[in-house]
Amino acid sequence: MAKQTIKFFINEIAATAEVETDKLLVDFLREDLAMTGTKKGCGVGECGACTVIIDGRAVNSCMVLAATIDGSSITTIEGVNKGEQLHRLQQSFIDHGAVQCGFCTPGMILSAKALLDSNPKPTEQEIKTALSGNLCRCTGYHKIVAAVTAVSEADCGGEKNE
Amino acid sequence: MKKRGVGIGCMWYGIGNTGLPNPASAFVEWLDDGSVNLMVGCADIGQGSDTVLAQIVAEELGVSFDQIVVTSADTMITPEGGATSASRQTYISGNAARLAAAEAKKVALAEAVEKLSVPAEQLSFADGYVYVSGCKSDLALKDLIACCRAKGKLTLGHGWFNPDTTGLDPETGYGSPFGTYAFATQIVEVEVDTATGKIEVLKVVAAHDVGRAVNPDMVVGQIEGGTVMGLGYATLEELEINQGKIKNPNLDTYLLATSLDVPEIVSVIVEDQEPTGPFGAKGVGEPALIPTAAAIANAVYDAIGVRIYSLPITPEKVLAALDEKYEQ
Amino acid sequence: MSNTGMGASVARKDAVKKVTGQALFAADIVRPGMLHAKVLRSTVPHAILKALDISEAAAYPGVVKVLTAADIPGPSGDGTLVKGEICSDRDACFPAVRPCGVGIILKDEPVLVHDKIRRIGDAIALVAAETEQAAEAAIKLIKVSFQELPAVFDPIEAMKPDAPQVHPNNILTVRKIRKGDVEAAFANADVILENRYRTQSVEHAYIEPEAGVAEYDGSMLTLWVSTQNVHFDRKEVARTMNMDVNKVRIIQAVTGGGFGGKLDISVQCHLALLAYHTRRPVKLVYSREESMVASAKRHPYIIDYKTAATKDGKWTALKATIIADTGAYASYGPGVITRAAVHATGPYEVPNVWIDAYAVYTNNPMAGAMRGFGVPQVAFAHESQLDLLAEKLGLSPLAVRLKNVLVPGGITATGQVLKHSVGIKETLLQAAQTAQKQGPNFPKWEVE
Repeated sequence: MAKQTIKFFINEIAATAEVETDKLLVDFLREDLAMTGTKKGCGVGECGACTVIIDGRAVNSCMVLAATIDGSSITTIEGVNKGEQLHRLQQSFIDHGAVQCGFCTPGMILSAKALLDSNPKPTEQEIKTALSGNLCRCTGYHKIVAAVTAVSEADCGGEKNE
Repeated sequence: MKKRGVGIGCMWYGIGNTGLPNPASAFVEWLDDGSVNLMVGCADIGQGSDTVLAQIVAEELGVSFDQIVVTSADTMITPEGGATSASRQTYISGNAARLAAAEAKKVALAEAVEKLSVPAEQLSFADGYVYVSGCKSDLALKDLIACCRAKGKLTLGHGWFNPDTTGLDPETGYGSPFGTYAFATQIVEVEVDTATGKIEVLKVVAAHDVGRAVNPDMVVGQIEGGTVMGLGYATLEELEINQGKIKNPNLDTYLLATSLDVPEIVSVIVEDQEPTGPFGAKGVGEPALIPTAAAIANAVYDAIGVRIYSLPITPEKVLAALDEKYEQ
Repeated sequence: MSNTGMGASVARKDAVKKVTGQALFAADIVRPGMLHAKVLRSTVPHAILKALDISEAAAYPGVVKVLTAADIPGPSGDGTLVKGEICSDRDACFPAVRPCGVGIILKDEPVLVHDKIRRIGDAIALVAAETEQAAEAAIKLIKVSFQELPAVFDPIEAMKPDAPQVHPNNILTVRKIRKGDVEAAFANADVILENRYRTQSVEHAYIEPEAGVAEYDGSMLTLWVSTQNVHFDRKEVARTMNMDVNKVRIIQAVTGGGFGGKLDISVQCHLALLAYHTRRPVKLVYSREESMVASAKRHPYIIDYKTAATKDGKWTALKATIIADTGAYASYGPGVITRAAVHATGPYEVPNVWIDAYAVYTNNPMAGAMRGFGVPQVAFAHESQLDLLAEKLGLSPLAVRLKNVLVPGGITATGQVLKHSVGIKETLLQAAQTAQKQGPNFPKWEVE
């Protein structure tokens, strides 16, 4: 199997790795880096469980070859909290009961983070659109949308979003 | 033209397996510092049974939820829990966990009677303390348990519960197949586009009799999730099976509701307490989904005056039914 | 200390691990020296399995073991029913004279096919290899010889005496309910409504596909599995492996949803076999497609309802025939159809009830438990019938329900007297009151 050396940032840490050229990013993260917080739900880019942030954009890591992240900066769920200190999105998911089985949760949080990083005050429709590539079979999405909305409102001085 | 309509769907659902023994069990160990280990066979598949069962034990023992560690669904450690199905675990494992806690509590209660010289009937445990005739005493539960243990009296309990049912007669179906039933009514508002046949579910009011809500937010979570799954059942989902072969075997062709498809859901928790349930609780997992498709079908009729007799109610079926109506 | 017991909306015990990605689902578990497994599945719906040639697969680089039905230690190769082809729930608990295959109610599903394929997706052979890729490649090298049989995909066809036999009797379950005298009620009825309803097959679609890891230390077999019932899994694995039940340890991994679809055996017995034969830890993770092909579905129903009512809107009789396509194996089918029959009246008191409910084998994907367990299908029928009645009599949908709902002391179709906690009327009233606050489109129904 052909291999390629890539340099990238993973959760703000500089890294170098040798990857098989046909290896998917999701498998690279889960197998080579033992970062199993990124989940595999469908393999066809539909469920969003494998969502990571690449250079600020939420991406399905099952649709990307690991080799293509050379020079990129990746955020996975393992890099969202700083040790024990939960990210406010993570805390909000807990507070709003936005977690049931938890399999979609890492991808959902990363899609939400990518949204709020670029658009701190989204409308409800923008939140729903940003999360529409992440399937959840348990919650019916309401508590997830509420969790994201609450973080945005708190970040923007407690002002209610549209 | 877009037309709106409203429909009702009602349901009932027997809690537990139909007319069959379906017990569950639990172990409780109350430790020297007042913390509690709860071991239950019940599998938490995301619905939250670990949390609900810990709350039931917290209530029974008068300790904080945070002091309870739950080990669940490990056959080497936990006793029989039966299936996480039939919306049965709050009612059945819930009763088992409560009974296990009550057995451990009995030891502590006897010790408290001795220590305070007060008859057991006047004692209760709450907020980490022994209460006498409803008033907080100085005796902390952790000190009481430590005292029991120091004397060699272990505060342990096991409990099991099997709902009171009878089998069904094979010829008449006669029998009492469930210990209790959950009930629900959902009222749905839809908008149907008569040009495209597309149905949009705008709002769902979902009133569920759960006996008693152990954790109201989690009950609402079940109602919301079940309703959206029911919406998918009513309008979106169908395995296309031809000659035994599934034609849409992945999520790119088998469509689930996304965050953009969900209606506003107003959940109403009705608490008609069940005396045989743990603190009155029944169940909600499956009931959340059951009436949704029925209510949507009725709402579609209310909107456009045609009744669809098969699920899912697709735009194609709506348009065909409208065509038939206009031809007549 | 604030209340954290009954009625407190405390945060879930597992929430922190789930939001940080630390929660270990079965596919996340890694054991030292772990192998990866794949399953060869049938691509035809009905056939006699003639021969298997595993030699090329076994020789493929990285392959450690290829297993077929002949490698099952316990007596569970064949899916033939020994007893209980038509079964009632109660004696269906453990009907088999000798254990044969796996299944929640009947042991009718082979762990690995050894004589007959009954659906697309039947497991035929297993491969364990050093990598998932090698296992996948090896599976494709197994040569299967089979002779196709005529198949049946329509449950009504399958009930006919000359239909292709999926099992010795295609009618798996007949559940009857008889209360009062429906024919007399129809003779005296003011309104009779008769309709056929149909419902479809649907997928559970838990976001986590089935997965597990097993290891065997020479005495204990330990499995970490995505499952809804570890104690059932333990019995099935022990019987398949011919081991004492307490030598099998099933640990539920964090499970990414189930909705009824993880009640059946999926990876458990296959993993046990591979760990036992290789003496190495083995992991098996379904792809989404494998999950959808191999797992149970919600039963599609054909429902014929005939209801009688008085002119003031009181239901007096329900006569129903319900036919459920349970696919190739029983799974929870007998339970699902029994529950459908018991719940067919809806939450209403109906004095005269006649129900025949069938679960029928076909060569379609297996149907089993799914959230609602056979009841959403009949709810669609009884709620449609009630609205049709309301329209016919000029009653509101709320009024017709309030006339019929069960109340404490009410008697169900099976003769059960409901003593307490009968909240249907209250849910109707509260739902109606809440709905009327939601805007002008909600009708202002008279609430008594």
